[in-house]
Amino acid sequence: MLSMQNISMVYRTDLVETHALREFSLEVEEGDFISVTGPSGSGKTTFLNIAGLLEQFTGGRYELDGRDVSSLSDAESSAVRNEKIGFVFQSFNLIPDLNLFDNVDVPLRYRGFNTAERKRRIERVLDTVGLASRMKHLPSQLSGGQQQRVAIARALAGEPRFLLADEPTGNLDSHMAMSVMELIAEINRDGTTIVMVTHDPTLAEMADRNVHIRDGQVSDITTDTQFAKVATG
Amino acid sequence: MEIGPIWRALMRNKTGAVLIALQIAVTMAIMVNAISIMQERARVMARPSGVDEHNIFHIASIGFAEDFNERVTVEEDLNALRALPGVVDAIQSNSVPMSGGGWSMGLQTEPGAEIDGTGVALYFVDEHGIDTFGLELLSGENFTATEIEWRERTQTKWPDRTIITRAMAEALFPDDPDSALGKTVYINDDEPITISGIIKQMQAPWNGWNGVERVMLVPTHTLFGSTRYIIRTEAGLRDELMPQVEQLLAEREKGRIVRSMRTMDETRERSYRGDASMIKMLTFTIVLLVAITALGIVGLASFSVNRRTRQIGTRRALGASKVAIARYFMTENFIISLAGVSIGAALTVALNMLMVETFALTRITWYLVPLAMLTLCVVGQVAVFGPAKKASSVPPAVATRTV
Repeated sequence: MLSMQNISMVYRTDLVETHALREFSLEVEEGDFISVTGPSGSGKTTFLNIAGLLEQFTGGRYELDGRDVSSLSDAESSAVRNEKIGFVFQSFNLIPDLNLFDNVDVPLRYRGFNTAERKRRIERVLDTVGLASRMKHLPSQLSGGQQQRVAIARALAGEPRFLLADEPTGNLDSHMAMSVMELIAEINRDGTTIVMVTHDPTLAEMADRNVHIRDGQVSDITTDTQFAKVATG
Repeated sequence: MEIGPIWRALMRNKTGAVLIALQIAVTMAIMVNAISIMQERARVMARPSGVDEHNIFHIASIGFAEDFNERVTVEEDLNALRALPGVVDAIQSNSVPMSGGGWSMGLQTEPGAEIDGTGVALYFVDEHGIDTFGLELLSGENFTATEIEWRERTQTKWPDRTIITRAMAEALFPDDPDSALGKTVYINDDEPITISGIIKQMQAPWNGWNGVERVMLVPTHTLFGSTRYIIRTEAGLRDELMPQVEQLLAEREKGRIVRSMRTMDETRERSYRGDASMIKMLTFTIVLLVAITALGIVGLASFSVNRRTRQIGTRRALGASKVAIARYFMTENFIISLAGVSIGAALTVALNMLMVETFALTRITWYLVPLAMLTLCVVGQVAVFGPAKKASSVPPAVATRTV
């Protein structure tokens, strides 16, 4: 599903050269649920940006769903993001001036679906996250947990095969965080590959594999997570 | 197209958009009405005077010496002027078109003090008048040398023949202007005067007069102490002959002064200087207003882009291409502009109705409204292009930044 070989990412200014990722390699199989942890500045977000084609890397090879995405044009990257990747952000990133329906509609419009198809998908995903009755509400009228559910619905509406979650519970209390994590786990059980960046070791334990990053490199991969234990019995 | 979501988003955050739309509307109302005034002024300025303007100049002669014999001087001046190589013809007259100063009288088709005459500008000319001014005689005949009378300032009697313009004929005989030739009309209430010729066109000295083309030629030389010579030259020789004529007249008779030599082109320019200035001022106002509106659009769009950087990054992350982001802002501006010009169309018509009623201005030409709507929408799109391009350059990685 996702194959990174010796990815490097260097940020350069006139005075400083910062290696955010160096010789970074990772394989993610279809249906995996991976948590990515590491201290601040370790390269988690850079990894997430590159995995989600939000940023171009400076070296190495990256294949997503069997396709080399190392040198895609901006338009091609946009299309791949739209079709194959769903994003869930720490701050939800809902558009405050749009109601829930229109928020979920955003990626579907870029996909070019017709009106009826978009409506069908929006209603289905909002129903999945339990917010179908509030589709005319604005994000500001929802709790943080509900907003994150809408963001998840938006990520799922295009039926991506790959969901990238950046600290999806970072702005939620523990009760709401658990509810969102259960939803993410359920999405994974339905077959969507998930890579989740988190600071929280408890949440990381819920994935079936934990990748720990330090100084821009994979320092440790743990398969002995709680989820893995449950899955293997 | 994202018109629906963009409209709904605008409606939830509408203060800036409404202000810009109103600015566009006011700009349009002022712009269209100003253009309408300019069109009217330009139309007035473009009216032909009926005379051969480019080849005519005029010069004033004022006698001051005690032994100054005006009649002899005029006769000899005209002979000398007409004999000058390059001069087509020359006359003595009281005025020229567009000069701002001249004579007017009233003509009436029936005698009687109780009847209101039709106002008419008059030019005293001799048999060379038609040729000197370059007028077109439509019907009838020119004056003959024997018909020309000499008139002193105190004289009230009028010659018995006149040549009038087609416009004057239409004013006197609105039902059948073609019948004017040969008819007797009355000047000074009851003095009969026969229309012996109709000329196609000639303007009065006053360009703001609503009867500007109502003119009569009177077969008269004047003895008013000061006079004006009108000289028509062959094409291209006017400027060369002007100093020669000035010198000739100055040297011929020392008991008078010659001054105020001016071409007809200059006379026209001076006559319409106020209108030309108004056109320039209104053009400047329009350009300024449109520029301010464009800057307002740039300001609003730039503010909007800066305020929504995270949102733009999120849209990019969700699959929007750079083109889609630029299109979003262009569409948003188009909606604002469209609302602005729609309100502006109504405002334009209302303002015009007010101006027609209050200042007796002309109605706006219908096509100005759609043209202004289109222009302001295009201005809006050009103005928003920079901010839209800036928005499209927001990287998708902005979506994951926490600060």
